[in-house]
Amino acid sequence: MKYEQLAKDIIENVGGKENVISVVHCITRLRFQLKDEGKANTEVLKNMDGVVTVMKSGGQYQVVIGNHVPDVYKAVVAIGGFEAAKSVDTEAGKKDKNLFNNFIDIISGIFAPTLGVLAATGMIKGFAALFASLGWITDKSGTYQILYAIGDSLFYFFPIFLGYTASKKFGGNTFIGMAIGASLVYPALSNLTSGKALYTLFSGTMFESPIYITFLGIPVILMTYSSSVIPIILAAYFSAKVENWFKKVIPDVVKTFLVPFFTLIIIVPLTFLLIGPIATWAGKLLGQGTVAINDLSPIIAGLLLGGLWQVFVIFGLHWGLVSIAINNMSTMGADPILAMAFAPSFAQIGAVLAVMLKTKQQKLKTLSVPAFISGVFGVTEPAIYGVTLPLKKPFIISCIAAAIGGGLIGVFDSKMYMLGGLGIFGIPSFISPTEGITFGLWGTLIAITVAFILGFILTFLFGFSQKSAAEADRQFQQATAEADAEEELLGKKEIIFSPFNGEVKPLSDIKDAAFSSGALGAGVAIEPSEGKLVAPVSGTVTTLFPTKHAIGITSDQGAEILIHIGMNTVQLEGKFFTAHTTQGARVEKGQLLIEFDINGIQSAGFDLATPVVITNTSHYKEINETKEKQIKIGEPLLTLINDSE
Amino acid sequence: MAEKTFNITADTGIHARPATILVQTASKFEADINLEYNGKTVNLKSIMGVMSLGIPKGATIKVTASGADENDALQAIEETIKKEGLGE
Repeated sequence: MKYEQLAKDIIENVGGKENVISVVHCITRLRFQLKDEGKANTEVLKNMDGVVTVMKSGGQYQVVIGNHVPDVYKAVVAIGGFEAAKSVDTEAGKKDKNLFNNFIDIISGIFAPTLGVLAATGMIKGFAALFASLGWITDKSGTYQILYAIGDSLFYFFPIFLGYTASKKFGGNTFIGMAIGASLVYPALSNLTSGKALYTLFSGTMFESPIYITFLGIPVILMTYSSSVIPIILAAYFSAKVENWFKKVIPDVVKTFLVPFFTLIIIVPLTFLLIGPIATWAGKLLGQGTVAINDLSPIIAGLLLGGLWQVFVIFGLHWGLVSIAINNMSTMGADPILAMAFAPSFAQIGAVLAVMLKTKQQKLKTLSVPAFISGVFGVTEPAIYGVTLPLKKPFIISCIAAAIGGGLIGVFDSKMYMLGGLGIFGIPSFISPTEGITFGLWGTLIAITVAFILGFILTFLFGFSQKSAAEADRQFQQATAEADAEEELLGKKEIIFSPFNGEVKPLSDIKDAAFSSGALGAGVAIEPSEGKLVAPVSGTVTTLFPTKHAIGITSDQGAEILIHIGMNTVQLEGKFFTAHTTQGARVEKGQLLIEFDINGIQSAGFDLATPVVITNTSHYKEINETKEKQIKIGEPLLTLINDSE
Repeated sequence: MAEKTFNITADTGIHARPATILVQTASKFEADINLEYNGKTVNLKSIMGVMSLGIPKGATIKVTASGADENDALQAIEETIKKEGLGE
C-alpha cells in the first residue's frame, strides 16, 4: 500500500487510533474528530514528509495532505480500522462552495507561487516604461530593451510558468506542464500568424479564420498564447489525467520517457486544435457583439466592456477586441472601443490600495504594495491574481467600478488614438494627433479617477472581510509551505527537534563560557521540566560520556548535536543519570536516550540549564532558533540551512 | 609529519571545556591534526570527534600534525595542554 508508512505515522501522532472518533476527507485534507486534541503532536505532523500543514477548525483536527488525499485516506482507514466515509465536499465553514468559488480557488492557487516574482517583473516593466517616458533612457537603447525583457518575459512565457504550477496543483508531472506551456508559446508557431495564410476557413461568415498550418491535415486555428492563462490551465488539467492513466498502463522500465511522450503528443496538438479555435471564435463573437452594442448605445457598451474586461483578459478573449481596435485606428484614426477598457486597471489599483490599508495579514499587505505599484503602470496581473481575485469581493467591486468608468468614457465619447502604454502611460494615447487635447481626454481623466475612487471606497467599506483575507493568506501560506517542504526534501534545510520538555532560553544565558560564547557551536539552552532526554533526530550516538550527563548525536544528514545536561554535572560522576543507549548506537527520533533525576541534581546544588548546540556550525550557512519560549519533545528547535546550493 | 605523546593528568580527563580550547587551537592551523587514543584516531579539529574518545585521567594520547605549519601546530597544542592543566 503506497501510503502505509505515512498513514501509520499520522495515526500515531494524532494520539493513536483510540483517540480518533472518526475521520473523513475532503479535496485536500484528512479531517479527524479526536477525543482529546491535546494528545496530538501537531508540530510533528506539520513537519512530517507528506503533510503540508495542520489546521484546527470547526471542531475538526485537519491534516492537510494535498490532492492525493483520497489514497492516503484509504490507507489511514485500512490501518486504523476506521469506518470509511464518502468524500466531504465542503471547505472549512463555508457551506455554499459552488462552482464559481471552486474555480476562483483553483485559479488563485495556481498563481500563488508565482506572485512575488510576478509583482517584481511587473514593477520592472513599469519602471522601464517610466524611465523611457521621462526621457532618461530611449526605448531604442539596450538598457530599455533588456529591462523590458526582464519585465515582460514572465508574462510572455506565462504558459510555461503556469504549466509548472498548474500541473503541480492537478497532480501531474511539472515538467510535462512546462513543456506544454513552452509548445504553446514557441516562437516559430507564433510567427506564422504574421505571414500569409494557406487558406481561409468559413470564408464570408463571422467565423472567417485564416489557416496557417494544419496538423495531420486538420486545420489549426492559431491564436496568440503568450500571456494567456486559461488555455494552459485547461491543458494541464487534462494532461494530469492523461498522464496518470498512462502511468498505470506503461511498464516501469520505460515509464520515465514513454509517459511524457504519449501525454505530450496527445495533449499539445489537442490544445492547438481545440482551445485555439474556441478562444479565437469567442473573442471574435465578443468583438462583433461589442461593436453592435456600441452602435446602439456607447454608454451601455462602456458599462459592459469596462465591467467585463478583466474577465475577458483571464480567458484570453480580449484579443478579439484588440484586433477591432487596431482596425478602427487604421480606418478611422481613432477607436472608442478599447478606450472603454482603459478604466479597469484604475479600478483595480483603487481596490488594491484599500486592501493594502485595511488588511492585517502580513503576507497580503506585503504583496499588495508591489501589486499596487505595477498596477499604476498598467501591469495588473499581480493585483488581479494576487490580491483581488483570491479575495473575490474586491474583484467584483473593481469590475463594478470599472463598469462605471467605462460607461463614463462612453458618455464623453472618448477615443483612443493609438495603442500606447498601459496604466498611467496610456493617458497620452487619448490626445488627438490632429485636434490636440480634446474634451475626450478630460472625460477619460474623469472616468479613471472615478473608477479609482469607487474601487477604493467600495472595497474599503464593503469588500473586505478579515475572514476572506485569512483564507487568501492561507492559500499563499500553503503554496509557500509546499515550497518549503520541497526544500527540505532537496536537503537544503534540516530541522532539529527538541530533546526535552521545558523552557527555551538563549545560549548566552549559560554560565559557562565554552557554551555561552558559541565556541562549541550555535544553539539554544533548555531548562528541562521533565527528566527525559530523547533523540532530537534520527542518527548515531557519536559520544556518550561515561558520566552520562552529556551526549553527542550525529544526524543522518550530518548535523552534529551536543547536549550537555546541566552545568558542571560531570562532577556528579553519573549519579542521577541513567543511560538507555550506548556510544555508537543507531537511534530514531524521539527515542528515549537518557533519564535524569531533576530533583536530585538540583538538591546536589547543580544548575540544570542545558545547552543544545550544533558543534559543526561552520558547515551551515545559517542556524535559526525557535521563537517559542516553552517547548515540548518533538517540536522544532533549530533550523539548519545548508551551505551547498 | 610531526607528532608528540602526552599524558593526561586532569581529573576529568579531556572533557567539554578543555576539549573546546584544544579544538579551537588546532583549528587555527592549516595542517591536518589528529588525536589518537586507545587505538582510535579522530580529527582534532572536530569537537564531537574529540569528545567521542572519552579520554580519562591517566590516558596516554598521541597528537600528529601533517602540513606546512605542522611544527607550529604541535607546539601550540603542547602549550595549550600544559596551560589548561590537561597533562604533560
